[in-house]
Amino acid sequence: MRSVRPYVTGAIALAVAAVIFVMPFVFVALQAVKSKSEASRLDFELPEHWLFWDNLIAVFKARDYQLALAYFNSTLITVASVTILILLSAMVGYVMQRRKTVWNRVASIALFMGLMMPPAVVPTIGLLQEIGLFKTMTGMILIQVAYNLSFSTLLYRSFISTIPRDLDEAALIDGAKPRQIFFRVILPLLKPVTVTNIVVQSIAIFNDFTNPLYYLPGKENVTVQLTLYNFQSMYTSQYNLLFMNILLVTIPPLIVFIFFNRQIVAGMTAGAVKG
Amino acid sequence: MAELTLKQVRKSFGALEVIKGIDLEVASGEFVVFVGPSGCGKSTLLRIIAGLEESTAGTLTIGGKDVTYAEPSERGIAMVFQSYALYPHMTVAENIGFGLSLARRPKAEIAAKVAATAETLQLTQLLERKPKALSGGQRQRVAIGRAIIRDPKVFLFDEPLSNLDASLRAQMRLEIADLHARLKSTMIYVTHDQVEAMTMADKIVVLNGGAVEQIGSPMELYRTPATPFVAGFIGSPKMNLYGGETARRMNCTTYGIRPEHIRLSEGAGQWQGRIRHLERLGADAILYLDVPELGEMVVRAEGETPFAPGMTVWANPVEGAEHRF
Amino acid sequence: MTETRPRSRKSPYPLWFFIPAAIIYGVLFLVPTVSSLWFSLTRWDLSTAEFIGLENFQQFFSEPFLVKGLVNTLIYAVTTSGLKTVCGLLLAVLLTSNIFARGFLRTLVFFPVLVSTIGIGITFTVMMHPTKGIINVTLETLGIPGPGWLTNPALALFSVALVDVWKGVGLATLIFIAGLAAISPDYYEAARIDGATRLQQFFRITLPLVRPATVIVVTLSLIGGLRSFDLIWAMTRGGPGFSSDVIASVIYKQYQAGFYGLSTAGNVILFALIAIIILPFTLWFNRREVEE
Repeated sequence: MRSVRPYVTGAIALAVAAVIFVMPFVFVALQAVKSKSEASRLDFELPEHWLFWDNLIAVFKARDYQLALAYFNSTLITVASVTILILLSAMVGYVMQRRKTVWNRVASIALFMGLMMPPAVVPTIGLLQEIGLFKTMTGMILIQVAYNLSFSTLLYRSFISTIPRDLDEAALIDGAKPRQIFFRVILPLLKPVTVTNIVVQSIAIFNDFTNPLYYLPGKENVTVQLTLYNFQSMYTSQYNLLFMNILLVTIPPLIVFIFFNRQIVAGMTAGAVKG
Repeated sequence: MAELTLKQVRKSFGALEVIKGIDLEVASGEFVVFVGPSGCGKSTLLRIIAGLEESTAGTLTIGGKDVTYAEPSERGIAMVFQSYALYPHMTVAENIGFGLSLARRPKAEIAAKVAATAETLQLTQLLERKPKALSGGQRQRVAIGRAIIRDPKVFLFDEPLSNLDASLRAQMRLEIADLHARLKSTMIYVTHDQVEAMTMADKIVVLNGGAVEQIGSPMELYRTPATPFVAGFIGSPKMNLYGGETARRMNCTTYGIRPEHIRLSEGAGQWQGRIRHLERLGADAILYLDVPELGEMVVRAEGETPFAPGMTVWANPVEGAEHRF
Repeated sequence: MTETRPRSRKSPYPLWFFIPAAIIYGVLFLVPTVSSLWFSLTRWDLSTAEFIGLENFQQFFSEPFLVKGLVNTLIYAVTTSGLKTVCGLLLAVLLTSNIFARGFLRTLVFFPVLVSTIGIGITFTVMMHPTKGIINVTLETLGIPGPGWLTNPALALFSVALVDVWKGVGLATLIFIAGLAAISPDYYEAARIDGATRLQQFFRITLPLVRPATVIVVTLSLIGGLRSFDLIWAMTRGGPGFSSDVIASVIYKQYQAGFYGLSTAGNVILFALIAIIILPFTLWFNRREVEE
């Protein structure tokens, strides 16, 4: 009798979780493959014809292939900012952990501010305009780097403490210059954390809506999240296309999640412990 | 190989002086051991020689060249770390060849030198393995290989056997001794284990609290220790040391007699004591005596000694083996 | 050949490694954040700034729609944080017990965390439509009248909060699972021997020992809740009227309207809120940890 308990509770839990957590996604997927009239009913009926490809193409074509451009922009921002972010934050985390300097205190405080405090948007816009980076991809990339630096650096600093200093010293004796110690000994050993970091940061930056809203307005620089938001007002009656758009936006993180499940979980827990 | 000289080397961390004015001459090809208790400064001294720490005062010369301010890689030294410090993400071959790779030597040259070094240490089969796939002894040989390939003037060893189990330690002691015999290089070896010191050294430097207590060959230190500290440090079981009333009667501040230099008899002798405890080790026996005017006395006797705990015996020092400080 | 180099040798850890990051972080984050303190005291249009003292702040505390934003922010933060903490812990307890399909369930619960907030917002807005939305349609078939989730000013904020919890509880659960894993099973075994019921075990052992995770979850969700913008903007845009405005949406609206000084004042108030709430909380927690 007792051995049945786990299965019963499990089954109930599964059913409830399915309704609560899965149902919205099923809803999205269903509407995304329906025709316009069927979708406007917003119910769980199966579609008469599966219009997956038709809807997908229609969404991509909308407004002169805006979604394609958005995908390109979002990907570019994500890839560029994550690359710069990894390099810079590893460098800072490394020196912070290894070297006793008064700047460490300063850096620590500055980084913790970044974890908690919301950025002051209007002054930032003013500043970006002064530098001429407002409404530019470069500006957006640098902003993403700046806003995610805290988490990334603290993650690296924490992890580097597990790399023994002996290795630095052995490399020194072998004739390595400081730059070489970092790139040839330390950075390769940071691979596990780097993978986790890349995954977590990529998802966060790809899903970011607020920052592009403020710093990258305008049609040429549209991002995936912004397109989705704009789509809402544009296609008030075409729910099928709207949900296809949502589906398309959901898929990249889903793919990443399937492949990097372990790293994501590790990254989120590590970040929380650090925070 | 080269000679090495330390002149009045001092090291302070803030207000705390950990190395107090050390002078040392190491001849070319000599095997010198720095030995002493935890915190005596032996590792710090080694790291100063390596260039990983900077001395607060004094000079260091290697092969006639003043290297006090030189970078570690420019001093002609190589070091074997206690933890071996092998690069975990590189193969054995890459580990050994790392220094050459940093110096941008041609690949063929690196491969040839690595192969040659691996040959001398029987590592050829292991060249493509990563450190985590190696045993403790193998890792140590790779660490030694990484040092040899630099063709250094002085080899530095920082407690390399501490991480090994007892049987492996004995074997590695022999290997390092063999290495020294083969290469005839100047070697400086740090350990807290006096057995390693006694068995491997040409010359031992006993350090205590940042200062040199005595420098000499193993047997010199054994026969004629300069201070009670050295007397108590070298030799196992430890020398019996007595201060106070006993020492005054012997006309000194501290009186010492080694356990192996005491003869026991049932009849008469200088001291009378009761055997409190007896350890039989096979070839030897260690007896712990309670001597009224001295306190505890440790005596080493033949393995088949007829004495037993509880018995009262007489103890006599061997002629000429007494130490008075 | 003697080298006469300066006494202190260079460290192998170059300080210049700080510089690129410091420039980007300093210029794009620290400078605006600090300067916002000044600009919040001005009437500003990005080219000229006219000092007006605390007028902006006065407005925030007197104009009803601005005050509503402030109050809503607090309500939203506390509500989402509270729900995420409680539900997260309960889910974590469920998902660390010996039930069937445990790993799969954990994945299910966590997946919403990774999905686009805007996408979630739009989806739930559609599902929460007062007449056509699937939620109310289902409720109607059960005979319960469905409320105007996002159309009723009294409910709008809470509806968004519920969606926020739906989306974010997975992360809280994850953190709690890690925290629960750190509790040695010995405690539970000792308690079982002492005759404690499951409920007693939960309150006497689990709850106290999972406190580090609780603090993390509460802190993170409070900060997140105070700063929340995406979901609210996607679902209600602060409406109907101003009933679901929060400071973040006020900041945006004032920016859109060209009241830059007022918008920046909103930012400063947000800093202050976060600092006031988080700092004493962490201090209190650290002191309690020391006591133990």
